Amino acid sequence: MNCRWQMQRRKIFYRWLRIDFIYDPKKVSMLSKVLEERIYSLSILLVVVVVTASFIFPATFPTFENFSQILLNLSIDTIVAVGMMMLLISGVFDLSVGSIVAFAGCLTAYLMHFYQLPVPIAVSIGLLASLIIGWINGYLIAYQGINPMIQTLAMMGIVRGCALLVSGSGIQNLPYWFNAIGQSKLLNIQMPVWYMLITIAVFTFLCTKTIFFRRYYYIGGNEKAADLSGIRVKRMKMIAFIFSAGLAGVAGILLSSRLGAALPTMGRGLELRVITAVILGGASLSGGIGKIPGALLGAVFMGLIANIMVISRISGYWQEIILGLILIITLWADKALQKRYVST
Amino acid sequence: MRSVLFITAFIVVFSCELPPKHATQQNTYSRATDTITQIINEEYVMITTAVTMPMYVNHDQAAFKKWGEKMGVKVSILGPAEWDVPAQINTIEEVIGTKPTGLLINGTDPAIAQVINKAVAAGIPTVVYDSDVPNCNRHAFLGTDWYQIGKMQGEEMVKLINGNGKIAYMGILGLTNMEAGFQGMLDVFKKYPNIEIVGKYDDKANVEEAAKITADVLSAHPDLAGLCGFDSNSGPGMALAVKEAGKAGRVKITTVDWEPEHLALVKEGTIQLLVGQKRELFTWYGAQFLYDMVHKTNALSNNDRQAGITNIPQTINTGLLRITKENIEQFIKHQ
Repeated sequence: MNCRWQMQRRKIFYRWLRIDFIYDPKKVSMLSKVLEERIYSLSILLVVVVVTASFIFPATFPTFENFSQILLNLSIDTIVAVGMMMLLISGVFDLSVGSIVAFAGCLTAYLMHFYQLPVPIAVSIGLLASLIIGWINGYLIAYQGINPMIQTLAMMGIVRGCALLVSGSGIQNLPYWFNAIGQSKLLNIQMPVWYMLITIAVFTFLCTKTIFFRRYYYIGGNEKAADLSGIRVKRMKMIAFIFSAGLAGVAGILLSSRLGAALPTMGRGLELRVITAVILGGASLSGGIGKIPGALLGAVFMGLIANIMVISRISGYWQEIILGLILIITLWADKALQKRYVST
Repeated sequence: MRSVLFITAFIVVFSCELPPKHATQQNTYSRATDTITQIINEEYVMITTAVTMPMYVNHDQAAFKKWGEKMGVKVSILGPAEWDVPAQINTIEEVIGTKPTGLLINGTDPAIAQVINKAVAAGIPTVVYDSDVPNCNRHAFLGTDWYQIGKMQGEEMVKLINGNGKIAYMGILGLTNMEAGFQGMLDVFKKYPNIEIVGKYDDKANVEEAAKITADVLSAHPDLAGLCGFDSNSGPGMALAVKEAGKAGRVKITTVDWEPEHLALVKEGTIQLLVGQKRELFTWYGAQFLYDMVHKTNALSNNDRQAGITNIPQTINTGLLRITKENIEQFIKHQ
């Protein structure tokens, strides 16, 4: 009764605004569908942002070079965001990913530069080290019950310290074939963009088509129920941390390769950027929801806003404030619209 | 189906482009002078990392803005708020696409060489300031030698403690310029066997962290003779902890930078030496070099590009300031 009265009241309001077509039942259901899924609403928002920016900066924004640059700049963050999305779906997160990015890159560079190890062996050891860090995180959190925030915060410091120990002030002059991993181009687009797209495609397939990965939604939705239904929650959580750290390791090696140098300061603040992108892409800190392409869309949204601010010469003082405000407004508007239309 | 896959694989393999084997030097002067004839909406862009760091804001950026006002041209300051070199590289890459008149880049790390070469190859006059970037095609560099900063601190500390005692030092670990500074100081101490280094610490450019480290070091080594600092916040942090321990003046402190708080600490005798950089000169003259290059001021030939030269100096060492209790008044009055 109350609901009907509310609908009637809205109908009158929208008629007064002369936008009563919103209450066409078919359109309401379409709108509900779009708003129900963050990836759809975010996609629409992205199109709006791109079109608007193209009109405002016609000479500099809508160019192939600029778009490929945006994608290149967000490729490293997105690869890490895929792992973070998996963790958030299962209801946990990892603050040490930024440090793992630095450590994997520095260790790989160290082995190539000081021990002259061949590129594939050094890269494999760098990746293996990342996986071991992920395993330690996962084991202590899942099996020993340490709080994920405390564990990964401590690991963040340890791993950053190791990166500093290994690389000192950074390692330059890396082998040509290592640099080629991140600096080569395919169809005039730099390789990290392709690696990012492959990562997204593979993990989207895994999370939608395989029973193993779909279990993370059950774990994030209700951990106890998942446990009672026979899912090995602890093992699954540990594996999620290993995947996340592995992807951070891939990102770190790619970043070093792209820069042609390994810096111990790489990935500083990356964890928060990635968590923000993933939440924006539809995940929740309480777990159970989120889709892998959402990680890409969240990162693209942040990358686009950052690019537009650079093109419009907004000073660094304002960039973080504006980005923060846009994120809050976007999430708030999304929630408000969902409440209004999805529930009716 | 097979033929489609084969054709796709063929296209993919043959459209793959490997990076060049070596950085190309021939682009150093490429198209830089071509922009001269068509200067429309003249804009000079400064790109740094940690754009909100007070030292950068008060010295580098203030001088750059002042230069822009004086010359009547647009100046923009961009870069990440945190110390994030990859983010600085991303910003430079994005700015190159907008074709600014000139780029003034803080040489935060040798890793930015590649993107500087990209800017130069795109025909944008590019000047590096603060720390030089090896293996890059920048048109000019203005700055100081961080090794000399460390050496100056080391030599003063040796005098202050008579070449005898325990020393600890701190700064932001992992930064190329600071590591060079550490090395300069350590090379001086090597000659004095009675000087013992008790620790190298990362204060994360944070006053509280520097104070905490100093307090811990003082507890572990009550006979500590001296402290050397290498970032803007090391000095105030070290001085705070030394004062709290009641050892002001007894534990000697040398550090960098000359903000009002540093000067006050020298005046009261807690800090014995400040090594200052002439940061205003980095950006003022850096911007002026860009302007002169674009406007062909003092052209040295009919066509500098074809002659393979530039009309600006290639490397400028702006030198260091040595601030002690003897000359402190001049700096306090100036501010």
